[in-house]
Order: sequence, then C-alpha cells, then structure tokens
Amino acid sequence: MALFEIFDPKASPRPIGIDLGTTNSLVAYVRNEHPVAIADCDLEVLLPSVVAYLPNGEVVVGRRAARLASEHPRDTIVSVKRFMGRGADDPETRRLGPYVFVAPTGTEANTVRFQVAGPRVVTPVEVSAEILRALKGQASDVLKSVGPAVITVPAYFDDAQRQATKDAARLAGLEVLRLLNEPTAAALAYGLAKRQNGTFAVYDLGGGTFDVTILVLDNGVFQVRSTGGDSQLGGDDMDRAIAHDLLGALGFDAAHQTPQLIRMVLDEARKAKHALSDTERVEALVPGERRLEITRARFDELIRPLLERTGVACRRALKDAGLQAGELDGVILVGGATRVPAVRRYVAELFGKEPLGDIDPDQVVALGAAVQADLLAGQGRRDDVLLLDVIPLSLGIEVGGGVVDKVLPRNSTIPCAARATYTTQEDRQTGFEIHVVQGERELVADSRSLARFTLGGIPPMPAGVARLEVTFQVDADGLLSVHAKELTTGVEQAVTVKPSYGLDDAAVERMLLDALDHGEEDLARRRLVESRVEARRILGATRKAIAVDVDLLEPGEAQGIEAACAVLERAASQEEPGRIRAAIEALDDATKKFAARRMNRAIAQAIEGRRVESVEKEVEHAKGIERAHAT
Amino acid sequence: MDPFETLGIARTFDIDLAAVERTHRDLSRALHPDRYVAASPTERRAALGKAIEVNEAWRIVRDPLRRAEALLALNGVAVGEDREPPGDPEFLADMLEQREALAEARSARDLQAVRRLAHLVQQRLRDAEAELSRGFARGEVRPLLKRLGEARFYRRFLDEVSAIEDELAA
Repeated sequence: MALFEIFDPKASPRPIGIDLGTTNSLVAYVRNEHPVAIADCDLEVLLPSVVAYLPNGEVVVGRRAARLASEHPRDTIVSVKRFMGRGADDPETRRLGPYVFVAPTGTEANTVRFQVAGPRVVTPVEVSAEILRALKGQASDVLKSVGPAVITVPAYFDDAQRQATKDAARLAGLEVLRLLNEPTAAALAYGLAKRQNGTFAVYDLGGGTFDVTILVLDNGVFQVRSTGGDSQLGGDDMDRAIAHDLLGALGFDAAHQTPQLIRMVLDEARKAKHALSDTERVEALVPGERRLEITRARFDELIRPLLERTGVACRRALKDAGLQAGELDGVILVGGATRVPAVRRYVAELFGKEPLGDIDPDQVVALGAAVQADLLAGQGRRDDVLLLDVIPLSLGIEVGGGVVDKVLPRNSTIPCAARATYTTQEDRQTGFEIHVVQGERELVADSRSLARFTLGGIPPMPAGVARLEVTFQVDADGLLSVHAKELTTGVEQAVTVKPSYGLDDAAVERMLLDALDHGEEDLARRRLVESRVEARRILGATRKAIAVDVDLLEPGEAQGIEAACAVLERAASQEEPGRIRAAIEALDDATKKFAARRMNRAIAQAIEGRRVESVEKEVEHAKGIERAHAT
Repeated sequence: MDPFETLGIARTFDIDLAAVERTHRDLSRALHPDRYVAASPTERRAALGKAIEVNEAWRIVRDPLRRAEALLALNGVAVGEDREPPGDPEFLADMLEQREALAEARSARDLQAVRRLAHLVQQRLRDAEAELSRGFARGEVRPLLKRLGEARFYRRFLDEVSAIEDELAA
C-alpha cells in the first residue's frame, strides 16, 4: 500500500506521532499547526495495547482483543511492552502473565517467545508490530497517506528495548523518523502550548513504566538535564496489588489460581482503580458471584510502596541535575496512572508544588510526538524548536576482575561518542573479548549485558603491548554502536550492538518478507522507490546549500558538484536502485569538503552570536552604571 | 581535541558553568542532527561529527574532574590511570577501609551508615576540587595529578553509594 501512497500526486504523506504504550496506544498528527489525536471508527482515541491470536489464524487488536482476554488468556497478549527487549530466560517475564513461553532453540535469538493459538509462536516485536499496524490503519483512514513516524519510548528504556521498538516499526512497514523519549515528548507538547521558559520535572507514570525527567526550556530549546526511572513499574502494578489483595481475601492460594481467574480478577482490579479516582469506595465482582468492597484508603495503602519507588527515582534525578525541588518552575504529569488522586497528592508533596495536568495525560505524549514528527519531516515551520536529550544509563566495558569501566556516563547529551583504550593481560593474546554493559553499578554482575564480541586476528605480542581502542557512539535515537580497533596493527571491527536479548537483522528481514504478500518482488520495488525519493531529497538539499553558501565554493568545485548532480538525476530516472545508490555516493564525495566548510561556518556563527550578545549585555550594563552615576 | 577551544571559552579550571551551558545550547542549535534531516548525507555526517564533538566538549567541561584531566593533558602532563603514578599506600589503605565499611553497611541494609560514609567522602571530594581550583589558578599543575587521582577514588565511591542508595530504598 505504501507504494501507491508515494505515487499519489494528490495526497502528500503526513508525518505521524505514535505513543506505543503498555496499556493503551495512540496516534496523532499536526493539523493546522496543532497536534490532534486520531480517533478510530468508534470515535475512540485510545487503542488498548492488546493483541489476540484466534485459532483460525485471525489476529485481533484493541478493544475486541481486550474482551477476549479473560476467555483466551494465553492467546491474548496484554502489556507486551513489558516484554520488549527481554531475554527468554529473564525471571521477570514469568511474573507478568498467564502465558506459555517457548524457549529459543539452536541459533534462535535469546528473546521471549509466546505460544499462541495452538502451534503459533510470536515474539514481543511481532506483537508490537500488530499494534503499530492497527494504528497506521487508523491514521490512513483519516490522512489518506501516512508518512514517516516518531515513536515514543520510555526514557529509561535500555538499548535492547529501543532496538526492539524500532524492529517492530520496521515490521509494521513504518519509516521511523526518530525514537523519542516519552517525557521529552510530553514537555514538547506543554512547552509549545505555554511558551514558557524555566526548569521542569516530568513525572510519567504509565501502564508499565515510570520515568522522571528534569529539563530546561530556554527559548525553544528543550534540554534534558537528567532522567531516571524504572522500566518495570506502572499502573499495571497497582492492578496487581489490588488483585493480590482480593485473591488473598478470597482465600485462593497460588495453586488454585488459573489463568482465567487471574485475568478476571486483574480486570476487576483495574475497574476498581479507575472508579476509586472519583469515589471513596467500590465493590469488585469476584469469582463465585461474590462482591468485595475496596475503599480508597485501602487502595492508597496498597500502592504506597509503588509511589515510594517513584520518589527514589525523582530524588536521584534532581540530584543528577544539581537542583533542589524548590528550584523547579513546574511539574508536568503524564500517563493514565497519574489520574489516581493519591499519585497527585504524592507528587505535590514530593516536589512541594501542585502539578500541571491540563493536557490529557493519556494523550500528551502522542501529541508531542506528532509535533516532533512534523518538525523532523520539515513540515513544521518552528525552526527555533530543538530537543536535546540524554542517555538514561551509563555505558561501559567489562575490564579485569568483572569490573565495569564506564565509557559514557548517564545523562550525557546525545548524539555522543567516547573512546577508551585497553591493553592485553596475557602474553601472546591474539583476541580481545569485548563485553558491553549498561548500568550504574561497579560490577558486571550487577549490570545489564548488552553485547559481547571478539576482536581477533591480532599478532601475538607480550602482555601490555597491544593497545585496543574502543569507541562508543550513541545516535539521536539513543541507539548504541561500538567500534574496536587495535592501534599497533590497525586490525579493526565495527558492530552495531546486537542486543544480547534481541532479534538480529536477518531475523527481522525474514519476518518482513513473511509479512509481505509477494516477498522478494515487493522488497525490490520498495528499494527502488526509496532510493528515488532519497535521490530527489539529496538533489534538493545540495542545490539549496550551494545557493546559500555560494561564497564557500572553491574554483571549479561547483562544476564538479553540478556534474555529479546530473549523473544522479539520470540514474533516478532509470530502474536500477544500485546505480542510484552509486550516484548518491559519488555526489556525496563531491560535496565532502564543501559540507565541512559549511559546518565550520555554522559553528563560528553560533559562537559569534553568543559573543555579540554578551558584549551587548556588557554595554547595557555599563550604560546602567553610567546612568546611575549621572543621577 | 581541546574542549575549551571547541566551546570557544578560555582554558581555565574556574568557569561560569551557566554561560558555558548557554554556549553549548547555541552550538547545538546550529549542529544538532534534527537540523539536518533534509540535508545531504555528507552534511548530515559532518553535522553529526561536530555535534558529537560539541557534546563531548560539554561533557568534559561541565565535570570538574574531566575538566582537570583535560587541562593537565593540554599542559603536557600525561593523564589516565595507567600513566599516572600510583597513590600513596596510606591513602589507598584508607580508601580500602572506607570501601569495606560501605560493603558492610550495604549488606546490613543500613542506609544511615551508607549516608554517613558518603558525607565524609563528599567533603573530601569538595576539598580536593578546591585544591585543584587553587592549583590551576597559581599555574602549578604537575602536583595536581595526585589530587586528581584521589578525587577519582572519591567520585567512584560516591557513584557506588548512589547505586546502593537506590538499591536499599527500592
């Protein structure tokens, strides 16, 4: 379908923002400079993040799937986000639902696998892709042509979880402009609506994750100072706390808890939680047609330990930002769970001020994502808006004795890179094992393992002579790549970190082929279309750059660039994606030096602008003193 | 790379952090990848490289210890733990003791004791930073290497304290 959209001359593709949530997901876009959420045919904006696999092979997403959950608990995946980027052997996954898990065999990636509807096996990436596909469908009903997407992730998502999200989007046939951190997206929605400068905390308690972000808004720049949270804490845990309480009161022990029973009680618990936001007491209908009363006081007591956990993360984020709670200008609430009155009270107490919640906390993230998509796709004209985000967790390398050497500290502004050098421990060592870990602890055993790879082919040398340089680079999506090089011999190897708990590229490619009706053929056509679009974009950008900075061109340079442009134009009118690629690379080469000069000019202008401003301030200041003396 | 030059500021230990943060923000405005989504691949790469450089400079300059390392390196003093002389045996023995006390407090889940230990080391880190500031102002850089080495130990200790605090509070 995407193919026809691109060629449809009447409808230009509209960029979209997607909040892929634990409990609910939604899609938004910018209409007349304002972000709006897109409703489905029932006029509902929130799509429950539930996917049901029926015995006849049908896949159902959303409200209908949610209704099937209690009847088919094992074939209906709810809160799949909590499984993203997790290992099959992760004990945490067992706790999370009544599913049947399948262990990976042979060379299969170490990722969670659910067995659903008989023999079918699906991964969290595939389940998430179903949700994304449903949202894309919802958007295309309204927009005719769906463009690229910004998809939000919790700020505290680690590398494996981010990669899994991106894979799911690829599988759903969405072009991803950017993975955007949820709190930053929320701040964008608020900041643009209010046009306020200052320092803000975003308290984001979603269905399954908690994030807190401290950021500075300064004339359109949204700079994240620090971020913290817990990727396994959310509104679902409140449901679980109530359900646990109910099952206890009913006298069910673990042995008698069937999947159906758990599902049913969890649903009742969720209803009770929602009702308790408005009333003081509620009755839950539990199995055996019994009714149990839950008071708001009991509920508050049950969730207090969960709130305390969010408090720890908030205090840490404030400390990392070098701030006291009193220095904040405001606190923004995000996530459906912040509707709970006890949560609002807790936040007000923690930060010493009443939180802001005037944009719907369920929608604010998707609205912010739509704004960012609009900006990145070049449709928005808010040239002065920019997000500067950070990495949530430190990245490091295992060194001798199972100790972590932190290469990039948490809260480093992205994109970023850092190098570190190591040496061999043993004589005649011909390979280095590189183990990449994420987290704040000193010992590898307490950290999350991201990837392992070996740099081999080093000639035997005495211990301590070889010098291994490892470079970490994190792009604007927060995704890590690692590059290793032995400096004395020049042996090198680059890897985009294949998460220890994820699918490799080949697996995603296979799923992609399976999902397309005509596999290979469609893929080839898609490549041609994509490279043509790319060629047109680059030609436009190059000509614009020449027009703006014509004085930076050296004699003869313009002719070389123009010739490369002509070659690319010709290639784009033909049918071979390979030739288009080659022509793009040739144009790339021809503009390399020119691009470097343009970058230096941009830097000089940025620093110069600052100097001019500070001189102006000094002059103002001097004038003030003069006036003071004169009077 | 000279991070001070990248940010267009003077090579000093004492800096106006708020002003440097604003400069970093201005440079980001000019260089962030989001500004080059529609540019050619060459320009995107060039901008990405510069944005990374600017962010690295800011990461170094905002942190007193990394800033001190950079200043020493620019003064021709070899820095990096494998190239610096080892610390005094007395200092190392003392740190080892503090470490053991921290490990004990952790296994006893004694948050108060953890915080007491952290408070002492925090004070020593502040003293070391003040000494770095004075030393750089006087231009006597070489003796600062020892202070820097000690400050690194304090920093690592405090990082571990943070992680333990989270663990015990959770």
